[in-house]
Amino acid sequence: MKNVIFLMALLLISSFAANAGVDVIVHPSNANAIDADQIKKIFIGKAKSFADGSKALPLTQGDGNAVTSEFNEKVLKKSSSQLKAYWSKLVFTGKGTPPKEASSDAEVLSLVASNPNLIGFVKQGSADSSVKVIQSF
Amino acid sequence: MKKVYLILFTCMLFISFLGHAEVRINGFASIYGGKTLDEGESLYGYSDEIDWQNGSLFAIQLSSDLSEGLSATAQVLARGNNDFNAEFEWAYLTYSISENSQISTGKLRIPFYRYSDFLDVGYAYRWAKPPQSVYNLNFSTYEGVSYLHTSYISEWDSSLQVLYGAVDTEFSAITDSDRGQLKDTFGFNWTLSNDWFMTRVAYLVTEATIDLSGSADLSALIGGLQAYGLTEQRSNIEVIEDDAYFAAIGIGINHENIIFDAEYTEFEIDNSIFAKQQQYYVSIGYQFDSITLSLTYENNDDENSRDQFNQVPRVIPGPNGIEIPIVVPNSNIYLQDVTNSALASQRASSDTYSLTVKYDFHTSATFKAQLTKLEDDLTGVNTGLLLFGVDLVF
Repeated sequence: MKNVIFLMALLLISSFAANAGVDVIVHPSNANAIDADQIKKIFIGKAKSFADGSKALPLTQGDGNAVTSEFNEKVLKKSSSQLKAYWSKLVFTGKGTPPKEASSDAEVLSLVASNPNLIGFVKQGSADSSVKVIQSF
Repeated sequence: MKKVYLILFTCMLFISFLGHAEVRINGFASIYGGKTLDEGESLYGYSDEIDWQNGSLFAIQLSSDLSEGLSATAQVLARGNNDFNAEFEWAYLTYSISENSQISTGKLRIPFYRYSDFLDVGYAYRWAKPPQSVYNLNFSTYEGVSYLHTSYISEWDSSLQVLYGAVDTEFSAITDSDRGQLKDTFGFNWTLSNDWFMTRVAYLVTEATIDLSGSADLSALIGGLQAYGLTEQRSNIEVIEDDAYFAAIGIGINHENIIFDAEYTEFEIDNSIFAKQQQYYVSIGYQFDSITLSLTYENNDDENSRDQFNQVPRVIPGPNGIEIPIVVPNSNIYLQDVTNSALASQRASSDTYSLTVKYDFHTSATFKAQLTKLEDDLTGVNTGLLLFGVDLVF
């Protein structure tokens, strides 16, 4: 019985972890209106600049981070494999380069805080005042 | 030309060592085994003995953003069916004119098919081998320039590629390696897509020359026609600067778990031994999480048109009203019959059915198994083939 409770708790935790939420962040000085569709276009390489014309550089996180798969599924509507296949098509034809990868929420925060061109995502609630949250998913 | 690629490649490495530009290294690999199901049969280079080389390959791609919108890309590919000899599959410079247009020059992929651009990257599509009735040209790159323009047309992404260049390679036309050249190759490839639907059309024209001396029978026929002064009939067999075209249309749907692809292509080299080729495939797939099942039907139909037959006269008028028969020397075999049978030999007609399972067992690797059955409508022979293997990207 203990095992069952343990298993249920584990399931609850894992389902909770899977729905932790994602905050999309930019530099505080970035005043552009950026909707979900624009975020998607930037992260799949179809848009390369913000509304004011400044360069938009997407920053993703490593494949193994839970927040990455959540972002890919909720915002890009693609599984990790589908996204990898999508980028393979562009990389091996010289038509695009996948976003640069940060290793953790902390690294995303410090990079975005120091570069107005970057747009990244972190686990919901991790963002501090050094960045601006533009959308939550 | 190979030297030029080597220089480009060396420069890229050198630049990266100097720290002036970041060089991205990507790669992909496929390891496939395959065998035909019945003794003595062969298909797509596989026999009834299990083979691990034919469908296997390794590739490394280096790309580097030099500066001011200029980038260099080189891909070195080692194919199992070429004893894993590493060769430059492509090597080119790209200049971004604006955010939505770029021009590339060097050795580039010819956009014959929907999957041409990443034909070798098995990871990016769902078959173990793309439908061979359509993906049947044995050459895939050209040397020249390509202009790419991307734009939005209301809700659609439009991608228009215009290219100009030349090809100098060994075709597998009559034998497995027939030296040939395509010059003044000009064409376009236009793709329109949204989140779940895509359609494309491509059209290319060129001037083709293919050396037929690898075939003793054809060489003898060409020599025979020339001996009778039948220059026009001779040139209707030979492939010397003949006009050729290639046309393709395709659609693709990826909606929820359903994947659908269809492509039709046709091409012809005018005034040549080669038949007009028409082929298509239709493939439907269903994705269950990490497993994708696909069913594919292919059809191929090659035939020389009727007006190409009986162009060689049976006799020519000689002196004093005598009619001289046009025959193979010292025989009663008419060259008309030999020519007709050479033209008829290009006839081909087949139906192919495939079942493919793709299993994404890792974010960078996928396992595939495919069962293919080809029915030759002319001979009535059915050939089965089993392929299985792993595709990786890194």
